[in-house]
Amino acid sequence: MNNLIKAELFKLKRNKSFWVIIGASTGLSALLHYLVIIGWWQMHGTVFDTAGLSELNALSTFTVPLFFNLIVSTLAGFFISIEFSQSGVIKNQVMSGNKRLHIFIAKYLVFSFGSIIVTILIPLVTALVMVILLGHGDVLNLTNMSYVGRAYSLFTLQFLGYTAIIMLLAIITDDSGKTIILSILFTILMFAIEKLPKPTFIELLYENSIFNQFSTVFKLTMSTGEITMSILIAFLSLIIVSVCGIVVFKKKEIK
Amino acid sequence: MSEFILKTNHLTKKYNHDFALHDVNITLKKGEIYGVIGQNGAGKSTMLRMVTGLAFPSDGSIELFGKTGTSELTEAHKRIGAIVEDPALFPNMTASENLEAHRLQKGIPGKDCIKNTLELIGLSHTGNKKVKNFSLGMKQRLGLALCLLSNPEFLILDEPTNGLDPMGIIELRELLKRLNREKELTILISSHILSELHQLATTFGIIHKGKLLEELTANELDQKCRQHLRIKVDNPNLGATVLEDNLSTTDFEVLSDGTIKLYRYLDNVRKVSMALTNHGLVIEHLSENGDSLENYFSKLVGSVDHE
Repeated sequence: MNNLIKAELFKLKRNKSFWVIIGASTGLSALLHYLVIIGWWQMHGTVFDTAGLSELNALSTFTVPLFFNLIVSTLAGFFISIEFSQSGVIKNQVMSGNKRLHIFIAKYLVFSFGSIIVTILIPLVTALVMVILLGHGDVLNLTNMSYVGRAYSLFTLQFLGYTAIIMLLAIITDDSGKTIILSILFTILMFAIEKLPKPTFIELLYENSIFNQFSTVFKLTMSTGEITMSILIAFLSLIIVSVCGIVVFKKKEIK
Repeated sequence: MSEFILKTNHLTKKYNHDFALHDVNITLKKGEIYGVIGQNGAGKSTMLRMVTGLAFPSDGSIELFGKTGTSELTEAHKRIGAIVEDPALFPNMTASENLEAHRLQKGIPGKDCIKNTLELIGLSHTGNKKVKNFSLGMKQRLGLALCLLSNPEFLILDEPTNGLDPMGIIELRELLKRLNREKELTILISSHILSELHQLATTFGIIHKGKLLEELTANELDQKCRQHLRIKVDNPNLGATVLEDNLSTTDFEVLSDGTIKLYRYLDNVRKVSMALTNHGLVIEHLSENGDSLENYFSKLVGSVDHE
């Protein structure tokens, strides 16, 4: 298992798409934060506004599934699906005597690690750096940092469920293009479910899903019950989707 | 330990209602080079994909190093090196990086094996060249390097000479023979190029339309393909004595139906005919027989197609 994780990390480091995404995420994040902080781009009514952290408003862009899906699905397409289709290197791992369960877990862990870097860490670190560089370091006090820490910790947990969904799609489709398109469609569907009127059962499901939690975790205050619920939703989603992914991968015939 | 490296029992693969492989039983002993011969689409790769764990049998079972069952087979796969269909490589990595990724996932200690394997396979000069810029032959060699990196006991190669130039084919053949000789490496190799397999394999399995038509040793195949005179006389025992006494040869065999296969005097049929008739034998049939490997294969496959 350790060997597989090491191999996946080695591949991630040498994955050109990963570095392109890192560059794009860093550049875009720095630009957005700069424009927001200097007041060129006015963003109002964001979760950070409510928390008195309007300097971090640009971060809200990176917390919207419709946006971060583009980053995560691209990475999934060019890090996971491509191994099944273009290069076919997944064959080597399966033929090497590695358990499919271990292969799946190693890929999931490293893919999630890469996704967290480009979708959560880079925008967050860029935001903090820009705030300090542009002379607004005073907003980074203990209270605000506790809020950001709590919100992003819970967000990351939900995000792990999301990467599991995208990984499942990547394994099912076997193709980077299809992975990107299907994940975009899936995220649009979730967005539509959020906005449109829906039956009670669907509403109940949605309210207890990671998609609802992506915004809930940024509430200024959360009770212990809400935090526990959020953690439970994240873990349950992760477990259910991962089990589906493992079953699909175990039954999959490698071409 | 089982004397067999690989044993398939009634191995079958079905896609919807079509059999890609049907009831195939093959056995590979340690140190054997087993050549799987078949046309494109005959089922060779399907069989290799199941043996290597890429696909699952619809029916039948696989025994690898005496192990059966999913988890035991997965463990047994650690002792094999395989290329199935195309070599699976990272196009944006160099040869060394591809080997490093493979070394890491197999947990092979030390990086020396990478340099040694690249030298063994003749790719040590490739440096920083990315695999996407390699020729097909170089990719095949690198695929073989991946297989050999962990010193496997059993090598599975699917059409390994695809894209290799004539020198490359000879080098690969010599390398495989050397590995087989020096390390007692068991090899399962598939090809549709018969002459190529004929120079390498010690046992052959002929697959056609998903079925194993025949399994025979290299000697048996040579015997079947060897040029000979096919003689049928009214008294086979006397015929054999005449050949021994008058033509001074024992290079013949008497088949169960009384037919004599004589491997000498192909250029002097008249002498054979006279020797037999001079001893009062009636020659019912006398003809020159024997096939090239290609003809033998074509006849075998053709007979099945006509059934």
